[in-house]
Amino acid sequence: MCDIIWCKKDVGGKPCDTVNYLDPYCFWNWKGNINCAECGAVYFIHMINGHMYKGPEDRPGEKPDTSPLYADKPLDGYKFITMGTEGRTRPFQCLPRHIYLGVPDMVKFSIRGKPLRGWRPQAPSAGIAGQFPFNWNIKKLAPEVWAEYQEKIAKGEVKDW
Amino acid sequence: MNDKKEWRTKYKNLIESPLEEQYGPKSKQELDEMKMPYEDFCKAVFAPGHEMGKPEALKGTRFMSTTMYIFTPHSCANLAELGAEVYKFEMPRMGDPMKHTSPFNEAYLYPLHDTRPMTGTGYGFTSANINEYYVSIDYHIEAMKEPFYRIVKMSDGLVECYRPGTFDRWKQSYRYLAEMNPRFIYVWGGGFGYGPKVFGGSYDILGQAHAGLASVTGMHEFMGGHCAKHSNWCIDWYSGTQITFGVLAAMHWRRKTGLGTMIEFSQVQAATRVLGHAAPLYGRFGIVRQRWGNWDTQLCVHGIILCGKSDYPDAINPQDKFEARYAMVSAFQDADFKALCEVIKKPDMYSKYIKHKDRVGAEAQVDIYATLEDWAKDKSRAEVVRILQNEGLLAEPVMNDREVYENPHYRTRGTLRWMDDPLFGDVLVQGTYSAGLMSKTPRRQVWIWRPVGADNVKFYHELLGYPISQVKEWYDKAWI
Amino acid sequence: MAQEKRNIEINSRADTLDLMHPDIRPWPVTPPPDPEWVMANVYAKRKAEEFGKWCEDNLRYEYSFGKPEALQGFKFLCIGQWRLANKFVSALLCEAGAEVINIEPPGGDPLRQLTPFGREEYMLESKITGEKCGLDFLHEMRGQKSVTLNLESEEGRAIYRTMAGQMDGIIDEMPPGYMDSLGLGYRHLSKLNKGLVYLNMAVRGTWGPYKDKMSKYGQWTLEPFGGCANSFVHNTGFPQDQLPRGKGGDPTRSGVWFADYVAGEQGANTLLAALYWRDQFSGEGQFCEVTGAETQMDILDFDIAWYGFNGSIKARTGGWDPNLNQYEWNPCRDGYMMIGGQTDRLWYRIGMCIERDFPQFGRLIHEDPILKEMGARNALAMLIKTYTVTTRWLRDINRIEAEQKLLQYEVAAGPVLFIDEVAEFPQFKYRPWVSTIDSDHYGTVMFSASPNSFQMRTPHRVKVLGRPLGFDTYEIMQKYCGVGQSRVNELKEKGVI
Ligand SMILES: [Zn+2]
Ligand SMILES: [Zn+2]
Repeated sequence: MCDIIWCKKDVGGKPCDTVNYLDPYCFWNWKGNINCAECGAVYFIHMINGHMYKGPEDRPGEKPDTSPLYADKPLDGYKFITMGTEGRTRPFQCLPRHIYLGVPDMVKFSIRGKPLRGWRPQAPSAGIAGQFPFNWNIKKLAPEVWAEYQEKIAKGEVKDW
Repeated sequence: MNDKKEWRTKYKNLIESPLEEQYGPKSKQELDEMKMPYEDFCKAVFAPGHEMGKPEALKGTRFMSTTMYIFTPHSCANLAELGAEVYKFEMPRMGDPMKHTSPFNEAYLYPLHDTRPMTGTGYGFTSANINEYYVSIDYHIEAMKEPFYRIVKMSDGLVECYRPGTFDRWKQSYRYLAEMNPRFIYVWGGGFGYGPKVFGGSYDILGQAHAGLASVTGMHEFMGGHCAKHSNWCIDWYSGTQITFGVLAAMHWRRKTGLGTMIEFSQVQAATRVLGHAAPLYGRFGIVRQRWGNWDTQLCVHGIILCGKSDYPDAINPQDKFEARYAMVSAFQDADFKALCEVIKKPDMYSKYIKHKDRVGAEAQVDIYATLEDWAKDKSRAEVVRILQNEGLLAEPVMNDREVYENPHYRTRGTLRWMDDPLFGDVLVQGTYSAGLMSKTPRRQVWIWRPVGADNVKFYHELLGYPISQVKEWYDKAWI
Repeated sequence: MAQEKRNIEINSRADTLDLMHPDIRPWPVTPPPDPEWVMANVYAKRKAEEFGKWCEDNLRYEYSFGKPEALQGFKFLCIGQWRLANKFVSALLCEAGAEVINIEPPGGDPLRQLTPFGREEYMLESKITGEKCGLDFLHEMRGQKSVTLNLESEEGRAIYRTMAGQMDGIIDEMPPGYMDSLGLGYRHLSKLNKGLVYLNMAVRGTWGPYKDKMSKYGQWTLEPFGGCANSFVHNTGFPQDQLPRGKGGDPTRSGVWFADYVAGEQGANTLLAALYWRDQFSGEGQFCEVTGAETQMDILDFDIAWYGFNGSIKARTGGWDPNLNQYEWNPCRDGYMMIGGQTDRLWYRIGMCIERDFPQFGRLIHEDPILKEMGARNALAMLIKTYTVTTRWLRDINRIEAEQKLLQYEVAAGPVLFIDEVAEFPQFKYRPWVSTIDSDHYGTVMFSASPNSFQMRTPHRVKVLGRPLGFDTYEIMQKYCGVGQSRVNELKEKGVI
């Protein structure tokens, strides 16, 4: 084995078949217990320069020192267990927001409350040969955002900074 | 400074903040430029927010940006910010591949193009192609040679980033174009240029790695670290700016001679250029410069320390909550170091390292920074900074993006501002103005970027004079 | 010469230093490939012989010394201490052919004294004056002349004014308002010289609420204060999720004074643009200010703009780029290996290369439906997955093996190289990007060449590296001020020069 742990533990008569990813910098040199994100089985590993010097050895009954960040099941439609799934994977702390999406964030207003074209789909608005004007006719192309903007203004939610 | 004491008395007002106290009350006579406080004078001549009434330095210059990614685009954006008229050429329907880059796939503007309404343009594309007109063209099509040559004859120069020899195969390399326009300034920007690795591809990160910059950045092994990547595509941007320097110098020479030039610019080389003493140290003594984390190999104390507590333990954003713990502390001169040792109640550390030569040694640095972090371990970043500043020492927080946004300094100077973009609405602008203030011909930003081919009519019809029917035909065939 | 045997006694590290001298250990250790080899093995393989020959004939570094200089005739004064930004502006201007006079106080720019870990043995001694000079200063003090002048004296200021009247530009990196307080600021000198372009340089600014500070004891604000003030440091380094905090998992400064270099190049551009406008249109100079904190903010991708988008505050991601996949370096058997390729075309090529040695890569990576979509690959979870499996491949191979394997698939990949490896890398030697100068003061010195050196008509070039303090004082005093040697000597005694 290597810096993935492909867990084959028997879970209710079926193999666990979960791949636990041991991310390269964290585990490049590392020693301790780690759990399988799916079945919770605990393994001892000792890694030196990315190589599994010892392990993974079963450590039933012991507590894990850490968890993988990410795990998935390639034989089961790549079902995955992502970062910060409680008791299974470890959270990723160093994030740009408290929300992690991993998919496009649909944004209609900047942080100071003015319209920003950060959502899809947009109404088609190109002219001849892909030509675009120098204004965004938001009233016509996105009336609902324009209405929401008027409400924001009324409520004093639009700021200078 | 020689007569430090005397100089300081004379210059006292500038040593200590705050602003209001620095200068006496403002009287009518002070309006006289020569008597104006320096600070007010600067504010008045740079007049942030009033750029538009002033002329543009590169008025009348026209450049072609046949570029992709960040490195070569930035060289043209620099010109466009200074007032040049720049046309950005992209492959029809596809556009610059940089449009696919977005942090963790989360931040996009829409649309890329009406034909792909669900595919946004990632924030990675944001500021490398400021103020430009967007034209689409497929160079592979023989019929598109003619418009290409037309614009070459009407332009001052071009920057391209294709694999070496590609533009030559398409008969649009310097040796072809210089015959049509001897004033033409032609830049190829890429990884390596002529030589054994001429066909090697390159990126910012390759420059950082290959050129030695990564080898001197990050925590040393004994500190537990690895070679760290400079955040951002900084070598791309930085190298692009140096192309701009080459172009501007060439424009000065062309004023005298009427002749252009060709510049072959390697971004990997540009990364080696910032290594300072690394090359002479190796060349003379065979010493290989290593990384030294958050400290400085040549000055001590001059480094970043970890404080015990975050300034915002209750914040929601993890960057505020967990990371507001680092402070830059600088006290390398004797008097400063002495004062620092006194503040942290380690006068013996001062006697141990009285001379700068004593404290800048490697073992001394390990000792000194450990002592500083030990002192800071029960304090927040703000406390550390405040205590040191109160003693007249230099210490500042390591700021995050929000703190930069909220810092009044950049707002006062106009180097960070909001703009009503013609197509995308309310965008925060961190570039252009920040590239340098100019009192008479200031840089300016008028739009961030435009969709692929957004200015095809303006370009093919209004500038080059092709009839609209022709433009439409090319568009339908996806030639433009 | 290399064959000759000598007995050497080594009692300390100092005894070994001379053994590394370029006379004994010449650079390069192995010669670069010659142009014929490159023609036959590189250009010919792509049927690009004609184009290759054209480039080699017209752009070669060696020919640059026989061509004109773009900024011939432009003259600048540079006054600044401690920092590399003003030095880099001056270096760029000199490389392009301008004349730059560097004004230092009689005691010299303190930057001259900086040397790694305080080791004086790493400073170079002038063969003519015997004075020692630190290597950072020496490396950036390229082409410039050195004049000493004490501006705290009335005579010194008069001399400075006389010179300023004849300059195209001034680069000022003294503390906020200092030159102005001496009556030598833009508003004073522009009255004498209408065409003068005046460039202020600073870490954060010479004005504004967060301008550069000076400590109570007179210590200046230096880089990386700039990088700390624009989020660069905060955004660089490994997250605590990859390495423990305090042991590598912290915000990290650049290993060099990077913001100084960025300010330097934008400073040079600002000067040239202002001079272009003066010469082409107006005849007027102007006042400019360029700072490290801000010019670096200009190149922080979209980081601050992203906060304006949805309140994101960029977090550090170590050796990985948060916007592309693959685009990173990870550890391998003998160091770190960088791999890049985001578009589908390159993504699958990288995968095919790795799969050849490590078949599981295909199953785990290529077949994962999320990873099939280009944008979705950039999600953090996908970076973790991709790079874990990539590093599983890398751990067994060296940098050079990885590079060769990836280059077979035309993937842009490269090892993290150290300066000794950089100096021997074939392309670096061939161009050359690091080169040596045989100099009058300092003997043979290795340096990083100018990236604008490879030009058809006006290549930039480096001819002189470093300068002892005040070496050009007599020449400049005579030439620009009509002050003869006897008077210079008098002024020296009085501490004016
Ligand atoms: Zn399991
Ligand atoms: Zn820029």
